[in-house]
Amino acid sequence: MTMTPSLSAEPTVAEPVDESMPLLEVTSLRTHFQTPRGTLRAVDGVSFDLLPGETLGIVGESGSGKSVTAMSLLRMVRRPGKVVGGEVRFRGQDLLGMDEDQLRTVRGSGMSMVFQDPMSSLDPIMRIKDQLVEAMLSHGKFSGAQAQARALDLLQQVGIPDPQARLDDYPHTYSGGMRQRVMIAMALANDPDIIIADEPTTALDVTIQAQILDLLAELNRDLGTGIILITHNLGVVVRVCSKVAVMYAGRVVESGPTEEIFAAPRHPYTQALLAATPRLEADRDAPLLPIPGRPPGLVEPIAGCAFASRCAHADQRCHDEAPPVSAADGRAWSCWRSAETGVLAPQPRPAEADESTAVDAEPAAAQDSSSSDAKALLSVTDVSKEFASRGRGLLRRERHVVNAVEGVTIDIAPGETVGVVGESGCGKSTLGKLIMGIHDVTRGRIEFDGRDLTHASRSDRDWFRRNVQLVFQDPMSSLNPRMTIGDAIREPLEIHGIATGAAARTRVAELLELVGLDPAVAPRLPHEFSGGQRQRVVIARALAVEPRLLVCDEAVAALDVSLQAQIVGLLQRLQRELGLAYLFISHDLATVRHLSHRIAVMYLGRVVELGPAADVVANPLHPYTAALLSAVPEPDPVVERSRSRILLQGDVPSPLNPPAGCRFHTRCPIGPMVNAERTICATQQPELAPGVHHAACHFSGELRAAGLEDPR
Amino acid sequence: MSTALVRTSPDAGLARPARAARLRGLGAQALTGLALAGFLLLAGVLAPLLAPHDPLGQSAQSLTGPSADHLLGTDEFGRDLFSRVLYGLRQDAVVALLAVPVGAVVGTLLGLLGGVNRWADAIMQRTFDVLLAFTALIMGVTVASIMGPGLPAVVLTVALVNIPIFGRIARNAVLGQRNRDYVVAARVLGVSPTRVTFRHILPNVLDGLIVQVALSLSMAVFIEGAMSFAGIGITPPEPSLGSLLRTSIAFLDQNPAYAVGPMVVVTLLVVSFQLVAEGLTKKLLRR
Repeated sequence: MTMTPSLSAEPTVAEPVDESMPLLEVTSLRTHFQTPRGTLRAVDGVSFDLLPGETLGIVGESGSGKSVTAMSLLRMVRRPGKVVGGEVRFRGQDLLGMDEDQLRTVRGSGMSMVFQDPMSSLDPIMRIKDQLVEAMLSHGKFSGAQAQARALDLLQQVGIPDPQARLDDYPHTYSGGMRQRVMIAMALANDPDIIIADEPTTALDVTIQAQILDLLAELNRDLGTGIILITHNLGVVVRVCSKVAVMYAGRVVESGPTEEIFAAPRHPYTQALLAATPRLEADRDAPLLPIPGRPPGLVEPIAGCAFASRCAHADQRCHDEAPPVSAADGRAWSCWRSAETGVLAPQPRPAEADESTAVDAEPAAAQDSSSSDAKALLSVTDVSKEFASRGRGLLRRERHVVNAVEGVTIDIAPGETVGVVGESGCGKSTLGKLIMGIHDVTRGRIEFDGRDLTHASRSDRDWFRRNVQLVFQDPMSSLNPRMTIGDAIREPLEIHGIATGAAARTRVAELLELVGLDPAVAPRLPHEFSGGQRQRVVIARALAVEPRLLVCDEAVAALDVSLQAQIVGLLQRLQRELGLAYLFISHDLATVRHLSHRIAVMYLGRVVELGPAADVVANPLHPYTAALLSAVPEPDPVVERSRSRILLQGDVPSPLNPPAGCRFHTRCPIGPMVNAERTICATQQPELAPGVHHAACHFSGELRAAGLEDPR
Repeated sequence: MSTALVRTSPDAGLARPARAARLRGLGAQALTGLALAGFLLLAGVLAPLLAPHDPLGQSAQSLTGPSADHLLGTDEFGRDLFSRVLYGLRQDAVVALLAVPVGAVVGTLLGLLGGVNRWADAIMQRTFDVLLAFTALIMGVTVASIMGPGLPAVVLTVALVNIPIFGRIARNAVLGQRNRDYVVAARVLGVSPTRVTFRHILPNVLDGLIVQVALSLSMAVFIEGAMSFAGIGITPPEPSLGSLLRTSIAFLDQNPAYAVGPMVVVTLLVVSFQLVAEGLTKKLLRR
């Protein structure tokens, strides 16, 4: 099931050096892992090639083999993994046949890699300059003096501010985004022909991600460096890559020019992936379509098409016979249903739409969002949280105060979903913990159904525990690994005296059924479930006490796109059936937009904008919201290439020492950094004006250009 | 993010492993150790049945070499050394199997308490510091000088030495687990702190403690030997592995086999416990 697409260079890419000869040719690459359960075919016949100066995106969900493919190219797969077949040709040389010494000349100077985690990829005890110089000297392309000079150039090239001074610093003084720039500088050090970037922005905030992606695109444009970008994020591919290869179960199922594949996918998996991905510009009524089932195990041999069991188009032939590779007009795909015509029928809508993510009418209370406090289920009034961190030194006299959350006012009506978005360190998780009572508030009031929680009595707290529950980010760590899931769900029932004995068992079965799991799985341990199933268990446990509000802290962030859509669908169904209210905390604007009735945007502990979801996304009033929206890559080349962009400079300032006045003024594209006369931003804290859709900005509404649904 | 190996297999429909399978799961190393230790301790427990002679019965044939009747020969009072080693093993079994569990349980409980309550923790930590400041032998001297030498002193010493060890392990494990999401989830669900500690945290920190039990058992044998060797442990004429070793030194030239018995048994016992500990570490802690 290999494919050899005849891929042509895209016009958007730099002038190819030699169009006839691919830089990199990968043919039927196979990498297997020997595991106790048998041979795991992580990469099972992958073929693609890269012309000089091209940008190729390899997309797929976890377990699709995309990272292993990248590691295989440079023969860096560790035991028990082994490249067992195929061919990798770099400038015509066979990489798989080379000995270690020859290979070393290719690594770094021919092809270099940028990894996901910039925090652990730099040596913490070596100055940045020394690390860059070391990388250059190891290939003998540069003399010592040349390398010293080039180190400065490289830092400049990747956009490190004040590079001369930063050369002598150690990695810990660099922020995450800056470290990723340094990693890219190191990858560039020996002037490679290809940079392989494996999820280079996954660990970064969205505004920083936008900076790094722009940097990669710029390097491709200016230096003609070929880029292979490996990612699970379809939007990231659109932003950088002219060509894309979609991987599923260790194989490339479809490849070709990005625009064409996104406009008319020819493999059902690509189609399903696109339908499951939340978008900013999508109508809120358009449901996300989850992909049913889960990916195959890769140990058992697959007779037919690997995707057949989850495919909406599959017929008997798909299950029995491996599909052929079709190639035409620069595209390649392997699917029986589109093999001859190259046209795939539109994805059928599921007959029973209960787990699709169609959204019902707005809840009654959300229609007048300025609803009086009496109607609010939860009301958070002017809440602040300070964390004191002790200074160093023997006596620890110095005290720093971090204002993790400051003056936040939000309320949630029954049955309403309020999304809280923001980058790391903005205080969104702390807000969730304050509402859950995990942290005590420093100032302000939190009321649930009219009862004050900040000074709650013991019985009030118990009552509160039954009404507000929490769903965590990582479904693995939020379940006790030594407790069966049945016990885990039963525990709250017994503690609160809701049900015991046989009644509790019945209730556990009901709850499992409610979240779409077979009640027979109750005696199993968490490790026997997949991520999506575990998250269902966590939700079932939270629902055991029949809460009225669920706080979801990044509840779908750890899941793959297809599972994400399942959980989002589940949450929406539960809201319809049980009238639950959600506080949905996430860094992912598209998901928040999809799920929420109202959105609150946080920056450095403060809510900077609050309003109806569609309105906030279409007409952001605060410049930060506008910048955040424009930083989110959309999985749609048409939208992505036509919209205007606001690129924020620099990093989020430290919450230890937030800027005076408006906390955003140091990065604001319309603030005092651009308009010198706007001193008010640096001196006076803007307040959140009252209204249905409001922003805490002195020049609210000025920067609307980034609105996605604005007439362009 | 996308390594194929990360995905755990769903082993759908598999029942919990049976006990035999779980034992096999311990690995060859731990099982060998377990078998050897079990054999030796059983021999000690069954000493009255296995011993060919009365361990205290004196005879005129002193310091003979090994013979068919006296496998290890006799000591300076003509007592059968093989029988004395068996009975000595019995004393060590008592020390190890009584003192280590006591120390482990008390230490773990104190450690868990310290992990939950800040005041208890402060007090506990300083107490542990003091206990840890004594090496085992100094502790033994102290205990023996207060309550007089003998088996109870040895047991108490071993228990006291183990309390801070288990306390520290339990406390660190609690601190490591306390902020894990599942513990937070339990608290948010309204589970009481005591229940959280015992129902949620303890089962998840048990692995480290079990490994330490195996290590402590070998240490118990060692401490008994050291204390009896120094003359503050099990007192003559009661045999113990340590006291046998001590007296053997004086007669090494007359009956070299005198020292061999207790030496081999102590070594085997310590090695077997170490094997168990090491095997368990590999299986339980490096997952």
